Amino acid sequence: MAPLLEVDDLHMHFFTRDGVVKACDGVTFTLEAGRTLGVVGESGSGKSVTAMTIMRLIPEPPGKVVSGDIRFKGESILAMSEREQRRLRGNRIAMIFQDPMTSLNPVYRIGEQIAEPLRLHKKMTRKEAWAAAVELLRRVGIPQAEERARNYPHEFSGGMRQRAMIAMALACGPDILIADEPTTALDVTIQAQILELMQEIQQRTESAIIMITHDLGVVADMADHIMVMYAGKAVEYGSADEVFYHPLHPYTWGLLDSLPRHDVDDKGALCPIQGQPPSLIHLPPGCAFGPRCAYAGPACRRTVPPLVDIEQGHLSACLFAGDAAFIARYENRVTRAGAGAEVGG
Amino acid sequence: MAALLEVEGLVKHFPVNEGVFLSRLGKTVKAVDGVSFTVDEGETLGLVGESGCGKSTTGRCINRLLEATAGRIRFAGADVRRLRRQDLKAYRRDVQFIFQDPYASLNPRMTFGEIMAEPLVIHGVGTRRERQDRCKEMLETVGLNPEHIHRYPHEFSGGQRQRVGIARALMLRPKMIICDEPVSALDVSIQAQIINLLEELQQEFGLTYLFIAHDLAVIRHICDRVAVMYLGKIVELGGWREVYNSPNHPYTQSLLSAVPVPDPEKQRRRARIILKGDVPNPIDPPSGCRFHTRCPLAQFPLCSEQEPALRQVAPGHQAACHFAKPFPIPEHKMGREALFDGDSE
Ligand SMILES: Nc1ncnc2c1ncn2[C@@H]1O[C@H](COP(=O)(O)OP(=O)(O)OP(=O)(O)O)[C@@H](O)[C@H]1O
Ligand SMILES: Nc1ncnc2c1ncn2[C@@H]1O[C@H](COP(=O)(O)OP(=O)(O)OP(=O)(O)O)[C@@H](O)[C@H]1O
Ligand code: SF4
Ligand SMILES: [Mg+2]
Ligand SMILES: [Mg+2]
Repeated sequence: MAPLLEVDDLHMHFFTRDGVVKACDGVTFTLEAGRTLGVVGESGSGKSVTAMTIMRLIPEPPGKVVSGDIRFKGESILAMSEREQRRLRGNRIAMIFQDPMTSLNPVYRIGEQIAEPLRLHKKMTRKEAWAAAVELLRRVGIPQAEERARNYPHEFSGGMRQRAMIAMALACGPDILIADEPTTALDVTIQAQILELMQEIQQRTESAIIMITHDLGVVADMADHIMVMYAGKAVEYGSADEVFYHPLHPYTWGLLDSLPRHDVDDKGALCPIQGQPPSLIHLPPGCAFGPRCAYAGPACRRTVPPLVDIEQGHLSACLFAGDAAFIARYENRVTRAGAGAEVGG
Repeated sequence: MAALLEVEGLVKHFPVNEGVFLSRLGKTVKAVDGVSFTVDEGETLGLVGESGCGKSTTGRCINRLLEATAGRIRFAGADVRRLRRQDLKAYRRDVQFIFQDPYASLNPRMTFGEIMAEPLVIHGVGTRRERQDRCKEMLETVGLNPEHIHRYPHEFSGGQRQRVGIARALMLRPKMIICDEPVSALDVSIQAQIINLLEELQQEFGLTYLFIAHDLAVIRHICDRVAVMYLGKIVELGGWREVYNSPNHPYTQSLLSAVPVPDPEKQRRRARIILKGDVPNPIDPPSGCRFHTRCPLAQFPLCSEQEPALRQVAPGHQAACHFAKPFPIPEHKMGREALFDGDSE
C-alpha cells in the first residue's frame, strides 16, 4: 500500500522582481499513519513554504512548483482539481499555525469557527455541528466548553487559542496534522500542555503529524523521523535516533554542537556554526552549506550534493556522507568542550 | 567578593490604563512585587521565568528606564533611586542595556557608525575622529568588519545587528550590562555565536551581567547564579548547579521538567509535570502563595492564606515555598491528569 504522504524532490520557487527565490529546492520525505515527522532548520530555510505547498496554499504566481510531486495515499495532490484539493485541505490534511490569530476570525465565536468545516465537509446541520464543536473543545481541555464556545478569540488566552486551533484542525478527523511552530510563541509550561495534548490525540486517532519547529528539544520529544532543512533543501532525513545520535550531515553536526549542553556539569564554550545562511536568490555554487562548513573541500564548491540514502532510510545531502573516515572526523571530534563528561540527568 | 548591585524589596506597580472602571478602582499591575537579590562584580546573574513575570520591568527599574514604586537599589555603594543629573548620567554610562530585538532597537536611518557613536556624543566623549576609531575598534571586537561603520542595519542579519547592539553597549566601557533576552530572536547557530561573544567580552572587560531570558538552557549555560521569577516575585534563587540539579520550589521543578531536552532517548524516559491553566493576571494576583492556583503540592488553607517567605534551603540557595525541599513534586504527581483539569481562570 502507498504511504500516507510522499513528497518527492519538491521544488517550489518564487518568481520575484529581485530574482528567483528557491524557497523549497529539493525536499523528499515519506510519512506513515500515526507517525510524527519533525522538520527543523533555521529561519528562512523553507519549512513553512514546504508545508504551505503541501496544503496548496501558495498563490501561483509568484510561486510555482517547478518540479517534483506530492502524493497523498498514492495520488498526486498536484494533479488534483482545485475542488479535490479543497476537499483534502481541512478535511484529510489540516494545519495549525504559530499565531492562532491568523486562522481564527476575530468577529466569529470560537464554536462557530470550529463548526464551520463540519458543516462544509461532513454536511452536518448547524445544531449537530455546534454540539460537535463543544465536544471538540472539551477534548482539547477547555473548561466549561459549552460557555467557552460562545466566546470570541480575544477572550481566550494564548494557550487556549492554540487549543481552539487544534480543535478546529481536528474537527474532521484529518489523517495528517501539519503544525507550523505551534508552541513557539508560548511559555514552556503551556508548551508542555500543548505537546502533551497533541501526543494524546495522536495515540487516540492514529493521525500523522508534521511538526515544524526550530527547537531541537521539541523534535526530540515528538518526532519519529526528522528532516533537517538548510537553504530550501532537505539536507538530512532519518529516524529521530539516527539523526540525533549518528548525524550524517555537517549542518546537523553544527546545529547539535550549537546547543547548550543540558547534561554536563562543566560548561565549556559553545561551538557555533560560523557565518550566516545564504540568500536564497544568490545561492553559493555547489553545496549551499559549503561556505559555513568546517569540513568542506574543493569538490563541495563544484557539485550540488544530491540527497542520497546512506544507511537504509537515513539520507544525507553531503558529498562525503558515505565515507566512514569523514563521519569519524565528527564523531571523534574534541572541539566540543565537556563532551563525554556526562554526569547524569 | 563585594556585591556590585544590591536590589532590596523592589516594587513596580503600573496603573491600569485599560478600562476606566478598573483604573478608577485604583487597580494596578503588580509587575514586580518585592524582589531582592545581589549581583557580585564579574558574575552573571540570570533572571528566568514565563512571559509577564516581571523580568524586563526589574531590569528597567535597575537601569532607571523606569522609576520603581518602592525598594532600594544600590550600585557600587550609591543609592540609585536618588541619583540626579550628573550622577545619574554617570550611572547610565556604567550600566548599559542590550535589548532582545536587534531590529527594533536600532534606528534604521542611522549608519552603524552613527548608532555606535551616539552614546559617546551624548556623553561628550572624544573628538569626531576618536569616536570613529573607537567604533571601528569595537566592531572588530564584536567580530564585524570595521568598514561596516558606513552601512545601515537593514543590510544585515539578526545576528549581525545584535553584534552592533552589543558593540554600542560597550562603547562607554560600562561595568555592568543588563541583557534583556539578547539571543531569544536568533537561530540556534547564531545564538551560540552571540553567547560565546558575550562570554569572551565578559572576560576581556571584566563585565558583570544581569542576564534576562526565558530559555532555561541558555540561562543554565551562561549564568553563575539564577533567580526564578513567578508573577512579580522571586521564588527560587541560587547557584546554577543547585537550582538545576536540586530545584527546591515546585515551580522551578515544573519549569525544568517542562523543557524538552534535545535527546530523544532521555526525553522518552522523562516524566513531565503538566501545570494546569495559565499564569494568573498580575492585576489580581492570587492570595497567599501566588503559585497556589497551579501548584500540584498546594495545601489549603495554608498556601492560599500565608505567603511563603524566601528562605534559605542550603547555603546560598533560597526558595519561597512552605514545603521547599529538593525535587518537591513526587513522581506520582507528574503526568497528564492536569491536562483536562481545566484552566483555572
Ligand atoms: N511569497 C513569497 N515571495 C517571495 N519569497 C518568499 C515568499 N514566501 C516565502 N518566501 C521566502 O522563502 C524562504 C523560506 O521561507 P519560509 O517561511 O518557508 O522559512 P521558514 O523555514 O519557515 O522560516 P521561519 O523559521 O522563520 O518560519 C524565505 O527566504 C522567504 O523569504
Ligand atoms: N508600561 C507598562 N504599563 C502597564 N503594564 C506593564 C507595563 N510594562 C509591563 N507591564 C506589565 O507588567 C508585567 C511584567 O511585564 P515584563 O515586561 O516585566 O515581563 P517579562 O517577564 O519581561 O515578560 P516577557 O518574557 O514577555 O518579556 C506584565 O503583566 C506586563 O503586562
Ligand atoms: S507555598 Fe504552597 S502553593 Fe506555594 S509553591 Fe509551596 S506548596 Fe505550592
Ligand atoms: Mg516558518
Ligand atoms: Mg521581557
